[in-house]
Amino acid sequence: MDKDTSLDTRKQETTLAEGERTRASRAYLPRTDIYETSEEILLTADIPGADESRVDITLEKNILTINARVDAGWFENRRLTYQEYGLGDFQRSFALSGEIDREKIEAVVRNGVLTLHLPKTPAAKSRKVAVKAG
Amino acid sequence: MAERNIVSRKPSAIENRGTDDDPFITMQRRMNRLFDDFMALLPGLLPYEDMGASFTPRVDVEEDEKEVRVTAELPGMDAKDINISIHRDVLTLGGEKSSEHTEKKGQYQRIERSYGSFERQIPLSVEVDGEKAAAEYRNGVLTITLPKPAGEAAKTRRIEVKGA
Repeated sequence: MDKDTSLDTRKQETTLAEGERTRASRAYLPRTDIYETSEEILLTADIPGADESRVDITLEKNILTINARVDAGWFENRRLTYQEYGLGDFQRSFALSGEIDREKIEAVVRNGVLTLHLPKTPAAKSRKVAVKAG
Repeated sequence: MAERNIVSRKPSAIENRGTDDDPFITMQRRMNRLFDDFMALLPGLLPYEDMGASFTPRVDVEEDEKEVRVTAELPGMDAKDINISIHRDVLTLGGEKSSEHTEKKGQYQRIERSYGSFERQIPLSVEVDGEKAAAEYRNGVLTITLPKPAGEAAKTRRIEVKGA
C-alpha cells in the first residue's frame, strides 16, 4: 500500500515558505494532477469555490503560480454546527522547464477545476532521438 | 471516584474538571491524553480508511433558526452525478467522479486528486422538511439547504430557573 497523499482528503494549508500572504484569509494547496503527452503537459487543479474571474495565473521566469480566491462571504453569520474543511484561497507554484511554449498556454475553469494546457515547444517535441538497436 | 475509564471517550469532560492537586486524577488525565493522542493518529495509519471509497467529500454544516445548510467541496463533478437523499434526520450524499483521461495517450506525472464513487451519511441536528430541501452545485461546491419544519422554533421553549 502506497503512502500516497491522495488518500488523505484533508486540505493542506500553504506554508510560510511559499511567502506570507497579503490577504487575511487562509490559503490551501490545490490538489493537482499532472498529465503529460508528447504534445503538452496538462495540469489539473481542484479549486472548489472559485470561478474563472477569481483565478490568476502568472508566469514569471520559469515559475508558474496559480492563485484562486474563494469568497467566504456567502457563508453569512450562521452557526457552524461542524466543520470538516476550512475555507480559504488556493495558491501554488510550479517550476516549469524551458520546453513550454509560453504564448500558447491555455486555462479553463469548470466546476471548481482549473485545467491548464501547457503545450511543448516544437523544438522540445522534435528533440526526441531515435535509438537503434546495435 | 467517577473517572475510572482509561480510554476516555470525551476527553474534555475530564480535562475541564478542577482538582489539579490530586495526583491520581492528574495521572489518570495524562493516561487519557496519551490514549487520545494515539487514537487520533490511528485514522492516518490505517490503510482501509479510504480504500472502500477512494474519495470522501468533506462537509461543513451550519444552521440558523430556519434552516440547516450543508456544503461539500466536490470539484470536477456534473450535477447529474450527485445523489442526495434525506431520511428523517439523516442526509445521504453520494455520487461518482470519473477520471478525465481514460485514453492511454500520455502518462500521469503526479496524481493528487481523487476519483471514484462515494457515499456518506451526515447526521443532522433536527428532522428537516425533505420536501422543501434544495441543492445547488456551483463552482465545484455543493450547497444543500434544508428548511427546518415549521413549528420547530416554537417547540423550543426557554425554561426559567427559579430561585429558592
